Amino acid sequence: MNQTPAPRVIHPVLRRALPVVGVVLALLALWEGSKFVFGFSDQRLPHLSAIGETLFSRTQGGSGNLLIVQMSLNAWATFRVAAGGFLIGGLLGFGLAVLFDQFAPLEAGLMPFVIGSQTVPILAIAPMVVVGFGQLGAAPWIAKVMIAAYLTFFPVTIGMLRGLRAAAPASRDLLRSYAANRWQVFRKLQLPAALPYLFTSLKIAASASVIGAIVAELPAGAREGIGVMLLNAAQFYNSRPPALYAAVLVAALLGVVCYGLVAIAEALVVGGRRAN
Amino acid sequence: MNDTIITFDRVSKIYPSGGGPVTALSDVSLHITAGEFIALIGPSGCGKSTLMRLIGDLEQPSSGALAVCGKSAAQARRDRDYGIVFQSPVLYDWRTISKNVELPLEIMGHATAERTARARDLLKLVGLQDFGDAYPHQLSGGMQQRAAIARALSFAPKVLLMDEPFGALDEITRERLQIELLNIWSTSEPRSTVIFVTHSIPEAVFLADRVVVMSPRPGRIDQIIPIDLPRPRTFATREAAAFFALATQVRAALRHTEGE
Repeated sequence: MNQTPAPRVIHPVLRRALPVVGVVLALLALWEGSKFVFGFSDQRLPHLSAIGETLFSRTQGGSGNLLIVQMSLNAWATFRVAAGGFLIGGLLGFGLAVLFDQFAPLEAGLMPFVIGSQTVPILAIAPMVVVGFGQLGAAPWIAKVMIAAYLTFFPVTIGMLRGLRAAAPASRDLLRSYAANRWQVFRKLQLPAALPYLFTSLKIAASASVIGAIVAELPAGAREGIGVMLLNAAQFYNSRPPALYAAVLVAALLGVVCYGLVAIAEALVVGGRRAN
Repeated sequence: MNDTIITFDRVSKIYPSGGGPVTALSDVSLHITAGEFIALIGPSGCGKSTLMRLIGDLEQPSSGALAVCGKSAAQARRDRDYGIVFQSPVLYDWRTISKNVELPLEIMGHATAERTARARDLLKLVGLQDFGDAYPHQLSGGMQQRAAIARALSFAPKVLLMDEPFGALDEITRERLQIELLNIWSTSEPRSTVIFVTHSIPEAVFLADRVVVMSPRPGRIDQIIPIDLPRPRTFATREAAAFFALATQVRAALRHTEGE
């Protein structure tokens, strides 16, 4: 009997995970390899094992939590601020895009300020916002959320506005031939046609909101958040380099998680769709 | 029953452009009778699509008078007197085929049960009864165009505007859809008026009661050729001597438009 062997089937989850695992392994090899080849000191580039050890060491001279637990708790605090900023900034961006689309003079008048707002370095604005809200007696998290929102709304405005205008002229003519009103054109055509653009901008906004939240934690006075951890670790870099790498790693993972959450939402909302 | 449904009275359409105004239509006069099948044919730039878009109030005349169903084109559009089919199907890719067919009824505020029933009937009429739940990208070009026709018919408009609807299809699909279109049109009661833009001579002759031959620069009506082939028209019609004679006549008229 000449039986053909059953084709090897790779589980889809595995097939997606394999490249990521491969890249991570390659990066780890590159890290340790360059340390070996170029002889970077532990001060400049600590061993991966040292970073791992630091992550699983106890804080406060051995009496506190594991560092990774402490960092995760702080990352959670940052996530809450980022999520708040993402929500507010996302809604603001969405609202501005709809306004600009419906009322052209508003776009002409306000767009320069929207763009201008993003050319001002967030590092310069953050202390002003924190101090300003503080003097108004607002809770500290409000200022942080505002800073995260400030970075978030812009990509959403631009992406959504582009999306609202993405529908083909013929598909608009079609609705015109049915004598559809403005709201119907928006609801039945513009909004669904804009969704892929909206999600692309939300993915950018997700990482921007994390950056905004971290920057908002940098001004003096902040007690929790991965930004505070980064700042502390940077201050003690000379005595304990692996801690900063660990904090950077956790911050990066937080960004990836936020992006992933939006990607999941996207798959649920526009997953089955395909352009003609 | 010889009611005029569409009247063009010395209509011109001029577009402003960087290189000076462009006359898309010049001094066009045309009377179309209710229930008539009119084919508009001519080389590109002759204004045949513009003429159709004027009827649909997708564009407005620069001068002259245009009446659709005894009123202005804008009023006829607001009264939903016409359905339109474009060269591309223009199906919304986030809606199923059935939901696409229901779209005009949704806009016009019909009840859900009525919409689904109507969509089911129409999909059956165009041979897509098994594809109501499919998404547009899962269908071939010919099937997508069938769905677009079903959508245009869903609210039983008095006038059907078709802008090269079969232009992007292969010859075999195209000839089959032509016969299907004639079947649908001839069984509708009251019979709708069809304005069919095409650049295919056999298609114009096969479908139409009258072929309006247009010429470019500036776009105008050159000649109107009555097609007195018997109906119903079938695959055999295309092999009749009279069909060839009429096609030759249209071809000669088209050559004449470029001759000067």
